Amino acid sequence: MSNLGGRRVLDLDWVENWARRVNEDRVLPVIGRFFTVRFVLGIDDTDFLCEVRRGKIERISEGLVPSDMGYEFALRAPSAAWMKFSQRVPPPMFNDIWAMAHPLHKQLHIEGNQKPFWQNMRALTWMLALMREV
Amino acid sequence: MNKHDPIVGRYVYVTCQGKTYRTYYEENGEGIPMVCLHTAGSDGRMYRHQLCDPDISANFRSIVFDVPRHGKSLPPAGWHLEEDEYKLTTSFYAEFIVEFCRALELHKPVIMGQSMGGNICLELALRYENEFSALIAMEACDHSPGWWIDPLHHPEIHGGEAVATSVFGLMSPESPDEYRWETWWYYAQGGPGIFKGDLYYYSVDSDYRDKVHKISGKLPIYFLTGEYDFACTPEMTMRTAEKVKNSECIIFGGGHFPTSEDPDKFKEVITPVLKKILQNDPQRRGGATQNWPSSQGDGGGSRNRSSEDTPQRRVIDL
Repeated sequence: MSNLGGRRVLDLDWVENWARRVNEDRVLPVIGRFFTVRFVLGIDDTDFLCEVRRGKIERISEGLVPSDMGYEFALRAPSAAWMKFSQRVPPPMFNDIWAMAHPLHKQLHIEGNQKPFWQNMRALTWMLALMREV
Repeated sequence: MNKHDPIVGRYVYVTCQGKTYRTYYEENGEGIPMVCLHTAGSDGRMYRHQLCDPDISANFRSIVFDVPRHGKSLPPAGWHLEEDEYKLTTSFYAEFIVEFCRALELHKPVIMGQSMGGNICLELALRYENEFSALIAMEACDHSPGWWIDPLHHPEIHGGEAVATSVFGLMSPESPDEYRWETWWYYAQGGPGIFKGDLYYYSVDSDYRDKVHKISGKLPIYFLTGEYDFACTPEMTMRTAEKVKNSECIIFGGGHFPTSEDPDKFKEVITPVLKKILQNDPQRRGGATQNWPSSQGDGGGSRNRSSEDTPQRRVIDL
């Protein structure tokens, strides 16, 4: 967790810590065996491109550039929403990407090609839940 | 000595809208008949804890059936020739519940349902109030849009994993892992397109916003919703309950699958409701005469700037 003056900041350092926690996980190589995708984690106005191969995050990049040649899908939400999502016990309506994305709540926007998102949702949600251990 | 659950399962033939369905049900207990309705895409296993509960079984004959195409209840013969995808309709669902109760010759049972089984309680109150003695509508509201979507039944998406994962977050993060993942398993075992087809009823074919005020109030209705339910939020349930005569609304610290995701918590929540139903119906309680119990890091790897990126861009290879 990145920490400025005692306040959590969801910056590149925090994303890196999360990615390292993801790569230590013992279950993801099993349930994410076919999870190879490039997706964007959007926090406020900053996009973090996460390059996933077989359930592990191989690279994270702050910001998008043309030579990225795009990505598959993006999950974008305000930092306040990700902050709640990543609490060890997240509050109601922020405990799950579907909760945040539901049309009733509209905290999270799922953009791009939804097929690989749905195909890998179990591994993806497991991966995101590890934010609670950062 | 071998340990058995007290639950007994059987099949009964139920005719509804011109077709006969070999319908699986399980039951246990003596007393007021209480028919339990499972959620969309799931089956009766989600009530296994309640059917085994000695306090409930001493006062209620709890029965749970698998809706046709769910669990051990097969689709009707010829389902493979159907010219439209499976869609559960309001009329079929409500009529099937009534016909099931008639097939078992139940007299004025209590209905306890969750999610779509909770929403259908509103239809039962509107159309069949003389058939039942009380309704327990869990995770229920008068309109729950947004769930009838194609990815839930798509040839390039694993239906079981996608369906189960899409509902996982409806449970409270504080519910026990064991039971949350057991609930995930129920969902992963659903038939192809069944969860989606049930959600046709849940999100499309049922909208009671302009009807619930017509419920007479003859039947007591108990609404219970967990605070982590994002499909039917506490606010949605409260808004509905405010319009329904002779209803109570209970919001508790749980999720969308209270009977299966945290059975101990659920017992605390449901016990006062069941006690009220018993008080209103003392002649029919079970043979047991005892009183209901009062309660119950950082890995240290390198950080390299990629040569192909702009100087402003920070990239981390892991």
